[in-house]
Amino acid sequence: MLINVKSLLKLFGVSIVMCCAAFVCTLFLSYNMDIAGIKDSLSSDAAVTLYNALITTGKVTAAVAGGCLVITSAVLLLFYVKNYIDSHGRDLGILKALGCSNMKTALRFWVFGLSVLAGCAAGFAAAYLYLPAFYKLQNAEKLFPDIAVKFHFSLFLCLVILPSAVFSLLAIFYAWYKLKKPPLELLKNAHEIKNKRNKQSDKERSFLSELRSNTLRGKKSAVFFIAFSAFCFSAMTQMSFSMKKLASAQMAFIMITIGLVLAFVTLFLSLSSVVKEHAKTVALLEAFGYTPKERSKAVLGAYRPVSYIGFAVGTLYQYGLLKIMMSLVYADIQNIASYGFDFVALAIFLPLFVAVYELMMFAYSLKIKKTSLKKIMTE
Amino acid sequence: MIELKNVYKSYGSGESKTEALKGVDVTVDDGEYVVILGASGSGKSTLLNVTSGLETPTSGGVFYDGEDISAFKDEELTAFRRRNVGFVFQQYYLLPDMTAEKNVRMGADLADNKDYGQIIAAVGLENKKKKYPAQLSGGEQQRVSIARALAKKPRILFLDEPTGALDEATGRQVLDYLIKLKRELGFTMVAVTHNENIAATADRIIRMNSGVIAEIKSNPAPKSAYEIGW
Repeated sequence: MLINVKSLLKLFGVSIVMCCAAFVCTLFLSYNMDIAGIKDSLSSDAAVTLYNALITTGKVTAAVAGGCLVITSAVLLLFYVKNYIDSHGRDLGILKALGCSNMKTALRFWVFGLSVLAGCAAGFAAAYLYLPAFYKLQNAEKLFPDIAVKFHFSLFLCLVILPSAVFSLLAIFYAWYKLKKPPLELLKNAHEIKNKRNKQSDKERSFLSELRSNTLRGKKSAVFFIAFSAFCFSAMTQMSFSMKKLASAQMAFIMITIGLVLAFVTLFLSLSSVVKEHAKTVALLEAFGYTPKERSKAVLGAYRPVSYIGFAVGTLYQYGLLKIMMSLVYADIQNIASYGFDFVALAIFLPLFVAVYELMMFAYSLKIKKTSLKKIMTE
Repeated sequence: MIELKNVYKSYGSGESKTEALKGVDVTVDDGEYVVILGASGSGKSTLLNVTSGLETPTSGGVFYDGEDISAFKDEELTAFRRRNVGFVFQQYYLLPDMTAEKNVRMGADLADNKDYGQIIAAVGLENKKKKYPAQLSGGEQQRVSIARALAKKPRILFLDEPTGALDEATGRQVLDYLIKLKRELGFTMVAVTHNENIAATADRIIRMNSGVIAEIKSNPAPKSAYEIGW
């Protein structure tokens, strides 16, 4: 078999993100479906207003959080498929040369959907374990009668089976699209020449600064994911801090957990992939006598501004989102604290982000330092 | 002068232990051109790696002008390679996203060599310096790799099967460039090859067999790249 279990294990990033997506969506959508049964029994204005606010919150949260997570997973999956085809070009080229059609080969990529199935099923199950506590939390003010947790098969279908099937199809079609090359091109893994030139002339730019900018240009997916991880960290931590004041500690906990899981999974995967992809270059730089600092700066240093931009965008995003949520969802509810930009949250999480990010960069610098010189000699 | 004294190099441990070098003693004089010959598994590449500071010996010493580099820490070895050594590999290992000129700057920047254009011209690639490796032939890529190594003005140039991936005509051309540049710039050259004919171009030939030096032979009349068989 072309794609084995080991290949699938590398997709644990997709599984974790989909687990988070299924967890959040199951919580809020299940609650929305169960609470619908008591709508007609609500008598007080306060209860009706809270009901409407909770329904809207559930829809917005499921759409925004779930949507973002699903898009992230889709991009992660495509990134994996592309990497898989690039690194197995020789095997795929041989299959094609032997007469295996693109579609027949691409169909084998359906197994990538299994990582989505595993993640969604885990998230769905975890949400059902947490739902009783979540229902109590949502009705903390006791404005509604107690609601029992019901199993909704339609939710299972939409949040577990459907995403797995869609992601399998996505993997198949993307693989099919990527395989549309002559067999020789796959076999040679022919290098695409990027003709984009820098404004600065070749003469002016030093080798290391050229390498830094090439690292960014050549690995756009890593740029996206590193910026995204900083965005997640920034948005989710600061939002959860504000949510603690506006909603509840438990809500804040869910948000910060998802944010941190997402941020670290994407950062870990992106940096691992960057280091792996540049192993040969790093080994060559070492052979020529470039110092460990120069090597790690050339490969990882380029991503530093990207991550800080991601953090800044995340800060603005969470502020904007909470502002909109407050004006749309909680506009009719009294005794809700007004919301302004949370400088305290920024003062806490910006230094924390810098510390954590630099620590991870340092850990990967050590990994780069250990890259074996023999690696290039033995290939 | 490079001196290797009783150098041993082994890989693995226990039953899987492999002795790649078993007590090698050899001297390479400044400005000399030495070819290390041997079959696959004879220890010739390990000898090159240990001599160049890419690997440290298990025991024994590698002395450069009396200084034992085998006792160096990683940082010191890196600094040593930066100052003294250039490499040319069989598979070129050019950076694919960079032009030939930028690949050469990889070596030139280490020596703060602003005149690296001259070395590009010297390997006959003046007109192709803006091309990417994928746009160059195998021979041209190897010439870029030679220019990259020489642009850092090394004292010693180490070559691992420099013509191994090239056809006869291109191989001869690359070898000719190397010999001419060596004569012009005066660096020491240590090349590993399995091609017996190439040895005829060297000042001295070291023949390796099963991790030991089987023979060291001086060549009083080295031939040019176009005078040897292939």
